[in-house]
Amino acid sequence: MAGDQANRLNNGGLIDRSAALNFRFDGKTFSGFKGDTLASALVANGVKLVGRSFKYHRPRGILTAGSEEPNALVELRSGARREANTKATTAELYEGLEAASQNRWPSLNFDVMSVNQLLAPIFVAGFYYKTFMWPAKFWEAIYEPAIRRAAGLGRAAQVSDPDHYDKAWAHCDVVIAGSGPAGLAAALAAARCGARVILCEEDFVLGGRLLADAGTIDGLHAAEWVARAVAELEAMPDVRIMTRTTLFGVYDGGTYGAIERVNDHLPVPPEHQVRQRLWRIVAKRCVVAAGAIERPIVFAGNDTPGVMMASAMRSYISRYAATPSRRIALFTNNEDGWRTAETAIAAGLQVAAVIDARPDVSPAHRSLASKGGFPVLHGSVSGVDGGKVGVRKISVLLTGGARAEVEADGLAVSGGWNPAVGLTSYHRGRPKWRDDIAAFVPDGAPPGIVAAGAANGAFSLGACLREGFEAGAAAARDAGRSGNTGSTPLANDEAFSLTPLWHVKGKGKAFVDQQHDVTASDIELAQREGFESVEHLKRYTTLGMATDQGKTSNVAGLAIMAAVTGKSIPETGTTIYRPPYVPVAIGAFAGHHRDENFHATRLTPSHHWAAEQGAVFVDTGLWKRAQWYPRAGEKDWLESVTREVKAVRSGVGFCDVSTLGKIDVHGPDAGAFLDRVYINTFSNLAVGKARYGLMLREDGIVYDDGTTSRLAEDHYFLTTTTAKAGLVMQHLEFCRQVLFPELDVQLTSVSDQWAQFSIAGPKTRDLLKEIVDPAEDLSNEGFPFMGAREVNLRGGLTARLFRISFSGEMAFEISVPARYGEATARNLMIAGKAFGVTPYGTEALGVMRIEKGHVAGPELSGTTTAADLGLGKMMSTKKDFIGRVMAGREALVAPNRQVVVGIKPVDKTRRLRSGAHIIPKGETPGPDNDQGYVTSVCFSPVLDQWIGLGLVERGRERIGEIVRAHDPLRGEDYDVELCNSVFYDPDGGRQRG
Amino acid sequence: MAEFSWDIRSPLDRALVAGPYGARGEDGVTLIEIRNFDLVQVMTRRGAAGEMAKAAQARFGVAAPETPKAVSAGDATLIWSGPDQFLVLSKGGRHTMEALAPVFAGSASLSDQSHARALISVSGDKARAMLAKLSSIDLHPDVFGVGAAAATSMDHTSVTLWRGKDRNAQAVFNVLVFATFAESLWHTMLDSAAEYGVTISHSEDLV
Repeated sequence: MAGDQANRLNNGGLIDRSAALNFRFDGKTFSGFKGDTLASALVANGVKLVGRSFKYHRPRGILTAGSEEPNALVELRSGARREANTKATTAELYEGLEAASQNRWPSLNFDVMSVNQLLAPIFVAGFYYKTFMWPAKFWEAIYEPAIRRAAGLGRAAQVSDPDHYDKAWAHCDVVIAGSGPAGLAAALAAARCGARVILCEEDFVLGGRLLADAGTIDGLHAAEWVARAVAELEAMPDVRIMTRTTLFGVYDGGTYGAIERVNDHLPVPPEHQVRQRLWRIVAKRCVVAAGAIERPIVFAGNDTPGVMMASAMRSYISRYAATPSRRIALFTNNEDGWRTAETAIAAGLQVAAVIDARPDVSPAHRSLASKGGFPVLHGSVSGVDGGKVGVRKISVLLTGGARAEVEADGLAVSGGWNPAVGLTSYHRGRPKWRDDIAAFVPDGAPPGIVAAGAANGAFSLGACLREGFEAGAAAARDAGRSGNTGSTPLANDEAFSLTPLWHVKGKGKAFVDQQHDVTASDIELAQREGFESVEHLKRYTTLGMATDQGKTSNVAGLAIMAAVTGKSIPETGTTIYRPPYVPVAIGAFAGHHRDENFHATRLTPSHHWAAEQGAVFVDTGLWKRAQWYPRAGEKDWLESVTREVKAVRSGVGFCDVSTLGKIDVHGPDAGAFLDRVYINTFSNLAVGKARYGLMLREDGIVYDDGTTSRLAEDHYFLTTTTAKAGLVMQHLEFCRQVLFPELDVQLTSVSDQWAQFSIAGPKTRDLLKEIVDPAEDLSNEGFPFMGAREVNLRGGLTARLFRISFSGEMAFEISVPARYGEATARNLMIAGKAFGVTPYGTEALGVMRIEKGHVAGPELSGTTTAADLGLGKMMSTKKDFIGRVMAGREALVAPNRQVVVGIKPVDKTRRLRSGAHIIPKGETPGPDNDQGYVTSVCFSPVLDQWIGLGLVERGRERIGEIVRAHDPLRGEDYDVELCNSVFYDPDGGRQRG
Repeated sequence: MAEFSWDIRSPLDRALVAGPYGARGEDGVTLIEIRNFDLVQVMTRRGAAGEMAKAAQARFGVAAPETPKAVSAGDATLIWSGPDQFLVLSKGGRHTMEALAPVFAGSASLSDQSHARALISVSGDKARAMLAKLSSIDLHPDVFGVGAAAATSMDHTSVTLWRGKDRNAQAVFNVLVFATFAESLWHTMLDSAAEYGVTISHSEDLV
């Protein structure tokens, strides 16, 4: 058992002294208790120095006790779970916790880079930007690497996060941010009305400031009141209390983002559980009871370890029974700060002095001072002696000009409170200034949101309860709930009485933004250099741009800017507030969608059979498709693909083509509808026949192609390319619902209903005769090219058979209900065994379509017209269709358009590559001479050489011409011949035979 | 000549492993895949809504749904799937394409979807918690009661979701997902449910 917890009080605190927890900080072992944060455990162990600052490597301690902490950032955990910039003030202690300080080398105590402080005169605001103006070549070589090394915070883990995250939706009438007095009162009122309530609390204990500041509510001690309120809420079925959950963003339509740290308080999440969960909460109303953040006063040495917000010091003493200091000085400009003196005295600590910047101090506090035997100094703190060992001596500038010194090992500071206006300002809202509390408060809020309690500038306990209770009841009413709310919880209204004070001039660095090392003089410099607007100030100095988003610094920064420009604070204004309110791990936004679950996948009906066959799969959109089926002894993909092509061209093979989009087009006007969406005519297609169709976009460019069969008078079966399946369905629905509502036509996607296989090769009919009922006539007469009809299969299944060919071979496509897809693949293997049937993948499919000159995705590229593809004659002149008019535009019918043409290297041994540019012989490669490019290539087993298709200017008129294929990407330049795009069986005899 | 057998395989045939999954000793979520159902999409022809409604009423004894809901009709469930259309889910060949074609002749177009979907029934104490990770729909009992339905998405995948009759006093949520997406969604469902403990099975009976 290491670590003596010398700074732990003997009694009190919301810690479980029976549950000691060991932890390590910078390699040293300490102990704390269940209920501690890492920060409170460090405080209990007397650790004051916890990190080095961003730019100057100044020693820093713990400033706050909450999520606004700018300084006490650590690397939590180790290895793959290492998390940089974790706030020690919110990290819950657990057994075995490991944390390391950041931005120091070789150690926290002796940090080499603290020499940066000596260079401080050049590291001022805008330093980073000014380096851009110096010789350009210096930037990448010197400044950028040097700055990166010297500045910065924690290190990322660099390896994949082993933990899981997920996302979930929640719905309610009223969501409440914060469980302090206002939040609990709101929850009680809303829940008693019968509202569905979600109460989000970022801490792991409910109560907010009540946990540290106590008080009396309805005659009960605050802790007792909280316990009763929570018990009442927990007993209601429609109340969800979410601790460790921060409401971080407000989105459209009453949607809120929240991050739940489900298992961050454990070393490793339990099996099957996530570390964090991102919530999207849909709420009719939202009560922001997120409290307020105590603000520092800027003075020289205000970043010395041991200087702490007064409320944070109370939290450590009261909530955690841990004493940050033995002899405490308090610097305040308001009544609330005095509570820290009261708490310190009650805990048996010494109060060295109270420095009160106000002209008057209440009689009650005067008598407290005289009873406690400490002086009350009227004035301001102007400097702190201390350095890395922490506060030793405090210089005070007394009202009237005299100076005093106070010996203390801790300095509590209260400059007043800033309501947490983030959530209420996220829709470009600007908070308004209230002089009485010298703070910004919400000025309206996005629809459905209301602020209550300290978040609304109501700082007394009584007011927090009243506002919260009223807001909760109103929210429930607005959400359509009614019921008996009972009576408003009652408490006293303490005085606040603040005299604004932002900055005390003095010698030495006075920090505004401690996390980004922005000083008061940086703000003055920014003003001198013309960056007066708060948005410019922010970007020039980086004020408020660190991970804490300036929670403790923004208002002080703009107050100082207001002072130097002679404007008021509201005239100076605030910057725009943007979510998230606290940093949210990208992993939480990704949730389940990583690795193999990055996106949903689609499997073809024969997928598992193909996997059994050893298929190599390729991602095609969401699909996994069999790319080729390697066999033992084949040395590469090309060998496998070439074998598959040869097997089809000489015998028979089959390929799962179920990925094509399939759409049922029904209704009396189905033919008329298709006539309008395709460039060619379908209304005259005979039942039992298929036809190739091409559709254009509205602008006349080719959209998609495919075969469509007429299965009945009022029923067509339309196919699309794999890539455009969903888009074509949307397009057709748009046409049906919006463009042609007068047509009686119905559409259904049947892509998943049918397993479809292409069976191709001269022995296709032999295979089919094995599996198709002998009564079916598959001869050219009985089942001609482009025939389409149902057939019975042996064994009792009915299938659809389409005599269509993509390969250029004698081919059929067979279509069966999808649950029979796998059986079909197996049965085709059985039926074709005697004929050497070979399953083939998408590569062989592609080779054969290029050999046959069929266009596909690379040619249907969104830039080509029907004529470019050699299909111009398909455009009917007897009817109107989508894209017809625009397809006639001058540029789309220009004679020099790039059109599809075949391409083959002059040197037959040469590999052709797609993407190569076509340049006329003797011309210099460049945009002026660029005549097109190679779109698709393959090695053709039939021609025993690489061939391709390309889009080439006037290509079809230049058959036989030798041009250059210029490929600067791969450093290649070689001669190719433009040729007929149909390399194989140009007469089409094989597919018709 | 070779003999051919036409084994029917559900899209989840390989992925589904019956038995417990995830957190041990817990039984928060029950997942049952319903196999081999008949599913027909009925789409009203233009101007024939009245005729179609009459035909549906005569055939099923209940009115076809005109809003997002699932109507139980004894041996079939009619599930709204969009404006002027619904799905007929049944078992045992009673309401196949062949059987329904004469019923809706002239008043609706029919499309067989029996093989186009997988049907997963989700129930258990934690069913709502698990579905909240997948669906943006509010499944609170007061909002999504028995018979409520939605054409929505889960994990970027289109689904039809409806609440069936309670089983053992617990809510039952039915998810119809496109067959080729089924395995992918199934794995996502298992991941979502694992922390609650899952009991997995399949059934030939509609529940």
